[in-house]
Amino acid sequence: MASYTAEEPTVTLERVNTPPAQTWNYLKTNDITLTVPKLSRKGDVYFALPRLFDKVETGMGQKVTDWVTSQAADSTYVEVKAGEKNHAPIVVDVDSNAGTVQDAGVLVRQGASATVVVVAHGTSAEPQTSAALVRIIVEEGAHLSLVEVVATTDAHHHLESVGIHADAGATLDIRQFLLGAGVTALGTCATLAGDNGRVSLQTHYLGEHEQTLDINHVVRMAGKNGRAEVHENGILNDSARKSLRATIDLIHGGSGSKGNEAETVLVNGDGVVNKTMPVILCDEDDVQGNHGATIGSVEPEQIDYLMDRGLSRDEATNLFVRALFDDALIEADQPLARKAVFERAQQVLGAEVAQNLLDTLGLELAADAGEKDADAQATATATKESAD
Amino acid sequence: MSQLLNISGLSAGTEEKPILHDMNLSVGAGETHVLMGPNGAGKSTLGHVIMGDPVYKVSGGTITFDGQDITDKTPDKRSLAGIFLSYQAPVEVPGVPLYSFLRTITQMRPELKMTARKFRQRVGEICDQLDMGQGFLTRELNVGFSGGEKKKVEMLQLLLLKPKLAILDETDSGLDVDALSVVSRGIEAYRRECDGALLMITHNTRILEKLDVDRTHVMVKGRLVAEGPASLIDDIDQNGFARFEQDGAAAQKAEA
Ligand SMILES: Nc1ncnc2c1ncn2[C@@H]1O[C@H](COP(=O)(O)OP(=O)(O)OP(=O)(O)O)[C@@H](O)[C@H]1O
Ligand SMILES: [Mg+2]
Repeated sequence: MASYTAEEPTVTLERVNTPPAQTWNYLKTNDITLTVPKLSRKGDVYFALPRLFDKVETGMGQKVTDWVTSQAADSTYVEVKAGEKNHAPIVVDVDSNAGTVQDAGVLVRQGASATVVVVAHGTSAEPQTSAALVRIIVEEGAHLSLVEVVATTDAHHHLESVGIHADAGATLDIRQFLLGAGVTALGTCATLAGDNGRVSLQTHYLGEHEQTLDINHVVRMAGKNGRAEVHENGILNDSARKSLRATIDLIHGGSGSKGNEAETVLVNGDGVVNKTMPVILCDEDDVQGNHGATIGSVEPEQIDYLMDRGLSRDEATNLFVRALFDDALIEADQPLARKAVFERAQQVLGAEVAQNLLDTLGLELAADAGEKDADAQATATATKESAD
Repeated sequence: MSQLLNISGLSAGTEEKPILHDMNLSVGAGETHVLMGPNGAGKSTLGHVIMGDPVYKVSGGTITFDGQDITDKTPDKRSLAGIFLSYQAPVEVPGVPLYSFLRTITQMRPELKMTARKFRQRVGEICDQLDMGQGFLTRELNVGFSGGEKKKVEMLQLLLLKPKLAILDETDSGLDVDALSVVSRGIEAYRRECDGALLMITHNTRILEKLDVDRTHVMVKGRLVAEGPASLIDDIDQNGFARFEQDGAAAQKAEA
C-alpha cells in the first residue's frame, strides 16, 4: 500500500468491488478495502453527468462512484448521435503521475457505433492514486468497443469502475489490458437489458513484484437470447496477488441466453497468491452458463528448451510477458493507449526488447500521441457542449 | 587440426543413475558425424549433456567447444557459442507465439541481428524452403503441432540460427516421405550456407545417403564402442548392433 503523509486527508472505501452473490467466503476474496485521498474541490465548478447515468450499475459499486464524483475535477459527457458510425474515439486520459480522477459518461444512441478508450498511464515513483469512473449507455442496435489500459508503476494505485447498460440488439466488445500498478482495482458491470444483446469481455493481466490485482466482473443478462463471452488471461510473477470475481447473472426472463466464462493464468513465482471466484447465477431454466479455469505454471522443461535456444532464465520467463505486450500493442491501437503500453513494456522488459517488440510487429508509435489525444479531448468537449 | 567439439573422459547421468561412461568424441569444424546405437544406449542423453541440460550431472571429464571449456556453462551460453540441439521430442510452450520466439532468439545474437523487415523476409524464405505455411508463425510454440510439424520448427530454428554445430536427435524420425525429403534438403542447406558441423543421431540410414559422412560412432549402454568411416553405417544396417553389444558387455566387465 502506498503511504500517505499525515497532512494528506484520506478516506477508506471499505469492502468495495463486490460480486452480486457472496457465496464462497472461505476464499476471503469477496471485496477489497482501499485507502484513497479525499480532497476538497477548491472553487472548481463541477458539472455532474446527466441523471440518466445514475441508473447504470457499475463494477466497483456505489461507494466508488460517490468517491469519484466527489473527487473528479470535472466530468466528461459525450453523446454519439443515432446512426453515427465514424465518431472519433472517445479518450479518457488518466494521468496517474498527477493522481487524476476522471468521471466520464457516454451515450451511444440507437444504431450508432462508438469506441471508448480509457488509459491510465504514468511512470513516476511518487505514490499516487488515480481513478476512472466510466458509465456508458448503449442504445438499441448500437455497438460499443471499449479498450482499457492500465499501464503505470508500482508506486501508483488505480481504481477503474465501469458500468455499461445495453439495450436490445446492442453489441459490446471490451478489451482490458492490466499491465501494472501497485494496486489495480477494476470492476466491470455490463447489463444486457434488452433481447439479443452481445458482450465479449476479454481481460489480459500481468502481475509482478508485490502488485495487487482485484478484479470484479459482472455480466447481467436480462433480455432473451443474450450471449456473453468472458475471458481472462493472465501472468502472475514473483509475489503478485490477484483476486478475480467473475459473475454471469442469468436473470429470470432472459430465456435462450448463454454465458461463458474462462480464465487461463500462468503462475510463475513462489510468492504468488492467485484467487478466482467464478459464479453463474441462474434464475431461468432455458439458459446455459459455463465456466472453466486453467491454472498453469511454467514447467522446467519449457524453460530448459528456451534456454537451449540461447535465452537466459530471465529472458525465457520474459517471453511469456512479451507475448502479453504483443497482444496489447496490437489491440490497443489508439495512439495514447499504444504509447502507454509501449512505455510500460520499456519498464517491464527493458528499452531494447520493447523497441524490438514494436519492430517485430511492424508498428510505429505516433510521434504526436499526446497531441492527438488532446484533439480527441477537444472533440469530446465540443460534443459535450452541443449535448448540454 | 584443432577440433570444434572435444569430449574427453566424459561421464554423466541423473542424480540417481549414471548413464554415460568415460566417453571420448571429437567433431571438427564443418564435419558430419553420425551417432548410432540401440534404443536406450544414451544417445539423446549425450546430446543433452553437450547442450548443458541441468537434468544431467557431469561426474567426470570435460567438454570443450571452439577452444573454450564449456563443461560448467549454462545451456544459453552454449547456444550463443554456437551449439544447437534439435530435440527428439520438442517441447510445447503455450503462451509464446512462434514468431515472437523466433525473433527473440535471433536478436539475442549480435552476428544475426537484423531489421524487422529483413527478418520477416528471412523467415518467409525458410518457411518456403521447409514447405511450411506461414500460418504456423502466429500459433503458440509447438502447441498442438503434429510430430512432423514440430521437427520442421526445429529445422526452421536451425536454419535461422546457423550454429557452428548442430546435434540432430532423430530429426528424421516420424516423418512422411515428403517431409523427410524436405528435412534432408534443410540439412543440406544448413551444410551449404554456413558450413556447419553435424552430429546426426539416427536409426534411419536413408537420411544419410545424401550426406557426406566423415565419421560414424557406435554407442552401447552408455559407452562408445566403435568408431569408423561412413561404411560402418552399411555394416550396421546389415548386421545390427549384436557384435557391438558384446564388445560393450566386455568393456563393462573389464571395468568392473
Ligand atoms: N532424465 C532421466 N531420468 C532417468 N533416466 C533417464 C533420464 N534420461 C535418460 N535416462 C535413461 O538413460 C538411458 C539412455 O536414454 P537415452 O534417451 O539417452 O537413449 P537413446 O540412446 O537416445 O535411445 P533411443 O534410441 O530410444 O532414443 C535410458 O535407459 C533412459 O531411460
Ligand atoms: Mg534418443
